[in-house]
Amino acid sequence: MIDKIAFLFSEGLKNFLRNKLTNFLCIVTILINFTILGTFFVVGFNTDSLVDFFRSKYTFEIFLNDDVSLEQSAVIIKKIESNSVISSTILIDKEKSADIFLEEFGEDVVDMLGYNPLPMSLKVSLEKDNFDLNKVELLINDIENYDFVDSVEYRGIYIDSIEDKINLFIFFFLISVIGIVFISIQMISNTVKLSMSNRSDFIEILQYNGASDTFIKIPFFIESILQSIIGSFIAFLLVNYSFIVINSYFNLNVQIDNFLWAWMIGLCLITGLYASNKAMKKILV
Amino acid sequence: MVEFKNITYNYSSKSGIYNIDLNIQDDEFCFLVGPTGSGKSTLLKLLYFDLFPDKGQVNVLGYSSKKIKKKDIYKTRKKIGVIFQDYKLLKQRTVYENIALPLHINGFGRKKISSLVSEALELTELSRYAKKFPNQLSGGEQQRVCIARAIVKNPDIILADEPTGNLDPTAGHRILRILEQINKEGTCVIMATHNYKLIAEKPYRIIELDQGRVVSE
Repeated sequence: MIDKIAFLFSEGLKNFLRNKLTNFLCIVTILINFTILGTFFVVGFNTDSLVDFFRSKYTFEIFLNDDVSLEQSAVIIKKIESNSVISSTILIDKEKSADIFLEEFGEDVVDMLGYNPLPMSLKVSLEKDNFDLNKVELLINDIENYDFVDSVEYRGIYIDSIEDKINLFIFFFLISVIGIVFISIQMISNTVKLSMSNRSDFIEILQYNGASDTFIKIPFFIESILQSIIGSFIAFLLVNYSFIVINSYFNLNVQIDNFLWAWMIGLCLITGLYASNKAMKKILV
Repeated sequence: MVEFKNITYNYSSKSGIYNIDLNIQDDEFCFLVGPTGSGKSTLLKLLYFDLFPDKGQVNVLGYSSKKIKKKDIYKTRKKIGVIFQDYKLLKQRTVYENIALPLHINGFGRKKISSLVSEALELTELSRYAKKFPNQLSGGEQQRVCIARAIVKNPDIILADEPTGNLDPTAGHRILRILEQINKEGTCVIMATHNYKLIAEKPYRIIELDQGRVVSE
């Protein structure tokens, strides 16, 4: 059995070295497709952290009732900040509110009306990490029911709109990934078919000498594994170093998944083996 | 061992074989003779399940053309050695590697392969060509490599389809002598040929075909 496996492995290796042109074309095909796919992976990986960052920029404002004192507001702040989704809370008292009004509208509300009608408010910033929209919405519903709260202004609608855009992006991302995998399967499958038709004499001789279909297929699978590993590994190096260069040239902080190499090589192996099997099914049996 | 039961096979573009009934025994040496297109190769192809009859049934080594599944054909072929007129050798492999191929398929170990290939090389008088490539050999030598490849796995049947077709008379006689020797060791040999001169005076069974039918036996 070990001799048989060794023979099949060496056959796969020999075929790989003998059919340089076909293998070169297949590796180039894999390289192009998986470079695009790898780039997509990196973009997808960074989209998540970018979105998290934007989400964390959202704040909501709690407008307190007129009769709430500064001491009471300190208690309220402590209570709100104890929630894990909150990163910080800033108290905007009536004076600060008047200053903001002056800054935004150019009018001094106290001069205009003779008193300050603006309410005291709390500007609440959300936690950057572990952002959970559902938790935030639940918290806001809770706060709205507090006695000392007049109203809560929350720009959740913008988050929803961003979520929709993200979902749309993820949808197109997945479609593109499926499209590239499909194109890869077709191209690898065609290369294997070409390779098999080049070696139809060899296959025929094996068949006449009593080789089973599995015996005939294994060297082609080994060839396909070698093509996939080489093609996807070069693609990984290309993607990895491209982003390192982009980061340093444009002073960006694009993150690369530590397991990107495993994703790319793994997916490529699955794609290559599936494509080879598909091509061989049409030719054998 | 080999049984043709009322076999008919039609080609779309040429004539096939019609209503053939034949039995060939375990240790027989049997010639299939007839002009080109008489159905000799078709009969051999039916034996190693390269073709399946339109009508009737072929039984070979316990396998039936009616029952065998395509994925199991290799099991029959493991027990059959086939010799082709056009040799069907792997040009990029040495004589040794060509002969060793069926043994690799059967899962033999390296030492066993080496000893069996040496035996086959000796029997076919090819020992000194072991490291040569097929295109460095003459037609007769290539045909002997093909025979060595067919016998190395010690098959139950040898099917030889016009093995002397491309050879001069001397090389042809040499091939026939080797096949006779293999048969003496107990292997059934079925050889298709249109070379009546070559088989004249041989004491073996001759089945004559013409236009797809057995005309004499």
